[in-house]
Amino acid sequence: MSKYVFEGKSWKVGDFIPTDQIIKSRRVYQSIDKAAKYVFEDINPRFGQEVQKGDILVAGKHFGQSSGRAVAVKALIATGVSCIVAESFSRTFYRNAFEIGLPILEVSGVHDAVEEGDRISVDVLGGVFCNERTGEKLEGKPIDPFLIEMIEAGGVIAMAPKLVGRTT
Amino acid sequence: MTLIEAILARASGRETVKPGDVVVANVDRMIMHDLSGYVTSKVFDEKVGLPIANPDRIVMVFDHLFSPPSETEAEVLQADRAWARKHGINLLDCGNGNIHNAVVHNGFIGPGMVVVGSDSHTPVHGAMGAFAVALGNDSHAGTVLPYSKAWFKVPETIRIDLHGTLQPGTTPRDVALWLVSQIGEGGAIYKAIELGGPLVEEMSLFDRWLLTLITVDLGAKCGYVDPDEKVFKFAREHNAMQAWDEMEVSPVSERKYEKRLEFDVSDLAPQVACSPTVGNVKTVDKVAGTTIQYAELGGHAGGRIEDLRVAAEVFKGKRVHPEVCLNIVPSSRVAFAQALEEGIVAQLHEAGAMWFPPSTGSNQAVNMGAMAAGDAMISTHSRNFPSRNGSIDAAMYLASSHTVSASAIAGCITDIREVL
Repeated sequence: MSKYVFEGKSWKVGDFIPTDQIIKSRRVYQSIDKAAKYVFEDINPRFGQEVQKGDILVAGKHFGQSSGRAVAVKALIATGVSCIVAESFSRTFYRNAFEIGLPILEVSGVHDAVEEGDRISVDVLGGVFCNERTGEKLEGKPIDPFLIEMIEAGGVIAMAPKLVGRTT
Repeated sequence: MTLIEAILARASGRETVKPGDVVVANVDRMIMHDLSGYVTSKVFDEKVGLPIANPDRIVMVFDHLFSPPSETEAEVLQADRAWARKHGINLLDCGNGNIHNAVVHNGFIGPGMVVVGSDSHTPVHGAMGAFAVALGNDSHAGTVLPYSKAWFKVPETIRIDLHGTLQPGTTPRDVALWLVSQIGEGGAIYKAIELGGPLVEEMSLFDRWLLTLITVDLGAKCGYVDPDEKVFKFAREHNAMQAWDEMEVSPVSERKYEKRLEFDVSDLAPQVACSPTVGNVKTVDKVAGTTIQYAELGGHAGGRIEDLRVAAEVFKGKRVHPEVCLNIVPSSRVAFAQALEEGIVAQLHEAGAMWFPPSTGSNQAVNMGAMAAGDAMISTHSRNFPSRNGSIDAAMYLASSHTVSASAIAGCITDIREVL
């Protein structure tokens, strides 16, 4: 199972980060690539400037709370982040991530297990997190098979014609 | 089955559903505001491009913008209007109130409905006995607009019973804020929260509204109160009973809950949620005396006629503090009309308050309500995250309309019980 396995440099944000702080609503008028430069502009202005393709974001509790704007997920994808691991996600962020195609994993204890900049690896479908620097391994919360099917199908829009006819 | 399990079973054509089931349900209503509607329309046009299946079920409300402050925002509204007309969806243009109050007062929400919206506070409509959930733009564009359907995972339910009699000066809004401190921000992620018990049964529909509103900040998928005669009366008066037919809802004693919580709130003091999050809730005495430059009655948890009446009562013979701006933002045209009729508009105007058009007011400072570093606002809004209202170094305190009114008079956060 090599799909949705990632290794990269980590960035860290704290608990209860609202979507407003992922990307401000006024940035929504811009193209998503322009908006990407302003991700976390208030809490970590370096992020939008220095994040590299393949980096992994580590967050605390209830990441992506507040407004359910899908553009928060789209802007994060546009920064090049390959996946996000968090203690927990807000349900709108969680749903949006799978609907749009950003692999994410809930891992209890992950926030304390990482110092920003550590190389970490995440097997999203296998539910395994590993800090390559410390060697610490943690288990993630299993992902509903339906959501795996959705992300494999390319998101909710791609899946829609098949999805709406579904009865079981 | 609980109310929302029964709604989901019917809407997905099943006999029953249970927590964990993934169902595809018919959607009765989709609501969006000017900003999310703009994004959704773009996604829909660029990635889907099908006809809208039931345009009469879709409502767009301009509430973040009541009058565009720049060309950019004017272009957003222009595009929204053109898109709404092209597809024949319902449009409530500027000045109709904040999205949730506007749709309910215009008869778009009724008991038994499946309601989806991009605004995260969409679950507030659980007060009407609807299954109401916030979804993202891609669900709206991909399944709701073209097929009138959406997928849902049936949530587990937490039942909260509220008991007791509130002290003078403590209101349902204080109960709602206090619940966040008890259960925790994100303390009920993915769950349905069923609210009931003697205190909830006594409350008016629009006081229950403050409770279902706050379930979002607990992390819940939805919150609701089983509809009773108060709800049915309102729904009948607004022609919104069409989804309430033969619902197979079990008595409370036969429903399955993940857990049940009981609270007696008889001793509760007024509460204030302090920056930086909605979960940072303190009793008012802990922050009393904090200087404020702005106060606002408006937003999702304020600006109802009930709030305007409270302000009129608290302001009797009093004026807004000379160093405070008090913004009053009616939540709907109905609330403003009622306030006019009752003389509240003139009274508060003469007391020094500023009236703004029915809208979502200072929510995210899109059209008003930006603050400079060091400024503080106390309001009936529902969010207080740093930089939502201008400077990251400005503070937003969330409280009841009683506490906001008393604070606007005193110039600092004030315990309403000391001035009653």
